[in-house]
Amino acid sequence: MIPMEMEAESVKPEKSNFLQPLDSEIQRWMSKAFDMALEALENGEVPVGCLMVYNNEIIGKGRNEVNETKNATRHAEMVALDQVLNWCCCREKDPKETDIPLVVYGCKNERFGGCGSVLDVSSDHLPHTGTSFKCIAGYRAEEAVEMLKMFYKQENPNAPKPKVRK
Amino acid sequence: MDECDTWDVLPVLSDEQSRDTELLAAYAAPIIEKRQTSRLVKELSQIHPLPSLQHIKRVRACKDKSTPHPLEVIVCLASDVQVTDCKGVMLTDLIPSQSFDSSGLGVPFLVKIPANPPLTRPQFEKASKHWPTSFHEDKQVTSALRGQLFTADQKAKMQEYMTAAVQAAKSGEEMGMDAVGAVIVDPESEQIAAVAHDCKRGSHPLHHAVMVCIDLVACGQGGGTYDYEKYPACLFNSSETFRNACNGKENGLPYICTGYDLYVTREPCVMCAMALVHSRINRVFYGATSADGALGTKYKIHCQKDLNHHFEVFKGVMLNACEALEKK
Ligand SMILES: [Zn+2]
Ligand SMILES: [Zn+2]
Repeated sequence: MIPMEMEAESVKPEKSNFLQPLDSEIQRWMSKAFDMALEALENGEVPVGCLMVYNNEIIGKGRNEVNETKNATRHAEMVALDQVLNWCCCREKDPKETDIPLVVYGCKNERFGGCGSVLDVSSDHLPHTGTSFKCIAGYRAEEAVEMLKMFYKQENPNAPKPKVRK
Repeated sequence: MDECDTWDVLPVLSDEQSRDTELLAAYAAPIIEKRQTSRLVKELSQIHPLPSLQHIKRVRACKDKSTPHPLEVIVCLASDVQVTDCKGVMLTDLIPSQSFDSSGLGVPFLVKIPANPPLTRPQFEKASKHWPTSFHEDKQVTSALRGQLFTADQKAKMQEYMTAAVQAAKSGEEMGMDAVGAVIVDPESEQIAAVAHDCKRGSHPLHHAVMVCIDLVACGQGGGTYDYEKYPACLFNSSETFRNACNGKENGLPYICTGYDLYVTREPCVMCAMALVHSRINRVFYGATSADGALGTKYKIHCQKDLNHHFEVFKGVMLNACEALEKK
C-alpha cells in the first residue's frame, strides 16, 4: 500500500540548468534517507524515508506516517514536502519556484511506482499537473528491499484481516 | 429537485473494454457441400490452428441468403501464409499439404475478423458485423453503458451527495480557491463521512479537494494531519449516529476509506487518483472530466493492472452543474 523508495531529492529553482549532484553527494543524502526509513520501521510504518535537498541544505525530511495518521497518503515524500513548504514560507519564497528537478530513489516499486515502474509520471507530459523531472533509480536498491521485506514479514496490525475464501 | 433526468452516470471502462474493434485479415472459403462441414473444420483447425483467436467462430452462416452455399469457414489468417497475388488466390496457396482433401470447399476470399474477444455489448455488436465471435456478457457493464445501472432512487442519492460537493466547491471559490468539491460517503449507512473543497491556493499546493477529503476522513477516525479551521466548509462527520454506524460494521472499525464512495466535481489528477488507490476507496463518481485527469482522460489508474487495489469509476454525475463550476 505504500511506495518503496528511499529518496533524496534536490530542489533548485532554475530547473533547466540545475547542476546534477556528484555521486558522493548523492550517497551522503541517500544514507540520511535510509536513516529516516529505519526510523519508520522502528515506528511500525512501511520503511520509506525521504530527504529534500536544496543548495546543499536539507530543507525537508520525512518518513512514512500512514498508520500513525490513519491517512494512507502520508508517505515520506508528502511529509518532507510539508517541511519544504514551511521552509519556503519562512524565507518568503514561492513554493512554485521549487519544482523538483531530480529524484533519486532506492528500489523500484513494481506495485505502485510512479516513476518508471507502474507509471512514468516523471517524464509524461502533464501540463495541467506539473513539470517533468529527472529520475535516478536503484541507489542501494537491495538494502531498501531488505528493509521492506523486514516490514512485511511482521503483520500490519492496522490492516483489516483478509476474509477467508474457500 | 428533479434534475436527475438531465444527466447520465456512465462507467469509465478500461482501454480493453472501450477500444475500437481491431481487425485481422483472414482467408475464408465457402462450404459448398454442407455434409463435409465437420470434416473440413476439423482438418482446417489442424493445419491452421488459431490459438490466439479462441473467440472467433470458425464457421459462419452466410449473410446473403441468395447464395447457393449456406456456410463459410475461416481457412487461415492472411499473416499465416505467403500469397503473392491476393486476387487469384487458390486453396492450394493456403493449404500446401498434399493430404488435405479440399472437396466441398469453394474458392477462398479475404475477410476481416476481430482480433480480440469483445468485452462489452457495443464491442460485440461491432465485431459481429465482420465475423461472428463468442461473447461472455457482463450484464452489469451492459446496463451501465446504457446508463441504466442505477435506479431513480440511487440517482437521487447521488444527486444529494454531488450537490454537497458542488456547494463545497462554491464555498472554496468564495475564498479564492479552485472551484472543486469532494464528498466521501459511507454507502452502507448512506451518511457523508467528510466534505472538502480545493485548498491548494491556500498555503499548500497539494491540498486538492480529494486530498483534503481523505485527510478529513482520517480526522474522523481519530487521525489526520492538518487543521482545516480556516476552511469552514471542509468538515468531517462527528455525529453520534455516524460513529454508531461505523462501530456497527461487520468487519471491525472503518479502515481508511475502505467501503467508502467518493463524489468529486472534477476528474481527479494522478496524485489524487493514487491517493484513492492507497486509501482503498470503493467507488468514484465525478462530474466533469479534466485535461490531465487520471481516471479516464490521461490515465485509467482505477484499472491499472499492476496496482493492488481497483475500483469502479463513473462520470457525468450532475455534469452541467460540475462543468459550470469550471467555466468561471
Ligand atoms: Zn507515495
Ligand atoms: Zn489532485
